[in-house]
Amino acid sequence: MYVIFTDTDTDMTPKEAEKYGYHLISMPYSIDGRTTYPYVDFDEFDPHAFYQQLRDGALPNTSAISEEQYIQYFEPFFAEGKDILYVHFSRAMSATFENMDRAVARLKEEYPERSFYTVDTKGISLVSLNIVKEVGDMYLAGRTPQDILVWAEEEVDRFAVYFFADDLKFFHHSGRVSGLSATMGTLLGIRPIIYMDQEGKMVSIGKEKGRRKAIDHLVSRVEELGDNIRDHRILIGAADNQEIIDQLVEELTRRLGPDLPIELADVNPTAGSHCGPDTMGICFHAVHR
Amino acid sequence: MSTYTVDGPLFAAMVRGGARNLGANRKIVNDLNVFPVPDGDTGDNMFMTIDSGTSAGSDFGSLDQAASGISRGMLLGARGNSGVILSRIFAGISKGVEGSSQVPVTEFGSAMRSGVEESYQAVSKPVEGTILTVWREAVSYANERIREDSSLEAYFDDLIREMRASLERTPERLEVLKAAGVVDSGGAGLVYIAEGMRSALLNQMDKENGKETAAGRKPTDFNLFTEDSELIYGYCTEFLLRFQRVKVEKHQPDMQEITDYLNRIGDSVVAFRDGSILKVHVHTKTPGEVLNYFQTYGEFLTLKIENMTLQNSEVTIENRFHESVTMNAGEAAIDNLLDESNLPQNRDNTLDNPLDLSSMKHRKTCGIVAVAAGEGLRRTFSELGCDCVVDGGQSMNPSALDLVKAIRSINAETVLVFPNNSNILLTARQAAELCPDVRVLVIPSRDIGQGYAAISMLDTDFTDADALQEELSEIMEGVVTAAVSPASRDTYVDGVPVKKGDYIGFVGDRIYVDEPDPVQALLALADQIDAGDYDIVLLFCGKDTTPEMDRQAEAALKDSFRRAEVISVKGDQPIYNYLLILE
Repeated sequence: MYVIFTDTDTDMTPKEAEKYGYHLISMPYSIDGRTTYPYVDFDEFDPHAFYQQLRDGALPNTSAISEEQYIQYFEPFFAEGKDILYVHFSRAMSATFENMDRAVARLKEEYPERSFYTVDTKGISLVSLNIVKEVGDMYLAGRTPQDILVWAEEEVDRFAVYFFADDLKFFHHSGRVSGLSATMGTLLGIRPIIYMDQEGKMVSIGKEKGRRKAIDHLVSRVEELGDNIRDHRILIGAADNQEIIDQLVEELTRRLGPDLPIELADVNPTAGSHCGPDTMGICFHAVHR
Repeated sequence: MSTYTVDGPLFAAMVRGGARNLGANRKIVNDLNVFPVPDGDTGDNMFMTIDSGTSAGSDFGSLDQAASGISRGMLLGARGNSGVILSRIFAGISKGVEGSSQVPVTEFGSAMRSGVEESYQAVSKPVEGTILTVWREAVSYANERIREDSSLEAYFDDLIREMRASLERTPERLEVLKAAGVVDSGGAGLVYIAEGMRSALLNQMDKENGKETAAGRKPTDFNLFTEDSELIYGYCTEFLLRFQRVKVEKHQPDMQEITDYLNRIGDSVVAFRDGSILKVHVHTKTPGEVLNYFQTYGEFLTLKIENMTLQNSEVTIENRFHESVTMNAGEAAIDNLLDESNLPQNRDNTLDNPLDLSSMKHRKTCGIVAVAAGEGLRRTFSELGCDCVVDGGQSMNPSALDLVKAIRSINAETVLVFPNNSNILLTARQAAELCPDVRVLVIPSRDIGQGYAAISMLDTDFTDADALQEELSEIMEGVVTAAVSPASRDTYVDGVPVKKGDYIGFVGDRIYVDEPDPVQALLALADQIDAGDYDIVLLFCGKDTTPEMDRQAEAALKDSFRRAEVISVKGDQPIYNYLLILE
């Protein structure tokens, strides 16, 4: 008997989490010193209100949750005799997982017979959500944690995500993208194309001028790397910009045909704190990342 | 009195005369504008070029020394295409008299001829009907007429006669001149220089008195400085000093130390050494201290100290020059680098120099120099990743020295230079040639739009320079730079009646609209050139527009071109109320 966990950095919402049986760990962000826990401090995420704040000049920070908080999330299930499988956002992106490791080590002393499994989605937002949903499907189908770990070993690296930002300010502030020219302080229409590498880090791999070329670039990546794309979800997300989603969907359908299993997601506020408003990305099943 | 040979002092005096005459007439040259936009600074550019030559030239010694000093000063001070060509003419003359203390008229003619060859080599595609033609034709004409007994006066009479004739013919050679109803501005500048040279020749008292000719100066008005006046400008202090062996044995002159001292005690510093002679120019409030300092090294050959408040009438020209081409310590170092006698094998005192930590900084693989005018535009280019943004553009072209300084300020294996203006391209290439020890790639960006397009997509980790240049050329071809600017005169171009004081909207040299208001002109222009067909519509708002106008322009563009990304930035650029970049 095991339960599944994920966190809000994967774009999972309580509504969807419930469908799969996921327990949701809230990953906080703060603006002007005020910390907000998604779906704890509010019931429903209002992307427009959040990203508009950022457009108006707010510069959010994200923070790691503590060892104690992890214990509060996990202990009740260990106490009930249940094991835990946690499908989480990229370990390479946050120090929070060291707190988690300490919490789990402490709990193991008290509940030595309990097992704690993790799947590192090596990403955040869209790519994590795609993997979280696949794992959720397997959970609902009655697969064991071992089955899932074997699957993840092979498959995590085959969910590729490519995205571009509208404003470099947030990436510079968060410092979590490598390969971005450090001297470049303004975009003026330039869109650095960023992807999540196999280590779960954001890496800039090129740039395009203007949204249209950037969208073309994303679709070209799908054409080039896509693998059985119709058998898996194609997740498209944007930080509060329906217009570019429509443009991407249009271009994608034009070039790859209709009836694609497209699902849309709102980029969660904690991930959005790193990439800023009007960031747009696509996650698909690929030969490699 | 006739002159049959040219020596150093005479040549230097003639070039000064040429500079003086061009300086007095440079506005006329500026106004010879093909395009009805107040941008033609040919007169200023040529004046500043020749003026840096005269500041650097020696008033003494052989013709070789005088000509090479002038040439070197001009190569460094060269601004604008005409300025670069002018500097090359004098570089050619200098080559032609190499090793001669004085030359007869025939040899002087050959040296002038070498100026023609050198100037044609300066441009990749020489265009006839320009300064090049005027010089070439006049030198041919005058050289053909040299006889055994020809005087220099007769030679210059012939030269100027043909220069004027050739200048008059320039509109027949060049369609754009004909259409605008003007003669070539660079050619006109050259005629003024030659005429000034001739005047100096005929008025040889200049030769004895150095710069202080009675004829060339207005009487000083002592009322400009009264009992209650405050010394604001200080004294323009200039001298030549001969290093004295007994003095320098104890205290070796170090040019770095000397320029540092001068920069501490004053400004507008020019200091360089030619053998055992030191030339110094400095504006200081305490000239006495300067003299005492330098007397520890040697004795003065010439000395001139003037209260600058009294120089007022000339100050504007001089200030403009010195503000932009002040030879400070850093430039003196560049000057040293350019001077072959200072190449390392001859310099055994490197260990005596202070430790230079800057040379130990991490060497980047690629550095970027760009030219832009206007605070906002310069900031934008810095933010796009430029290491050094040199002030300049359409209205104020930087000198080759400005660009050399910029290139030298970056510690990089390769420096890319983006002139961002077709009139700065040659200067950039000249600057590159003046830095033979740095790998400099001049990327021929002809306007701000091309510069933006190329720099924004530049991959500084490139490995193949040829491929990079090709890629950037392609990017630059794909961008359109449109501009709005006040019309400087009435005209009728491209079917558009242009009214002086109105605002014209144009791309390159094609005028699309003329409107009484800059925002209207911008919007009408954007409409005509189908700005909505592009992905990026980047608007740089000039220094003469109000925030209200800029907001209105941005909102209207966004409204009209919903599919495009409209980005508005305060560029603060002069001349262009709006620059509209489409990509």
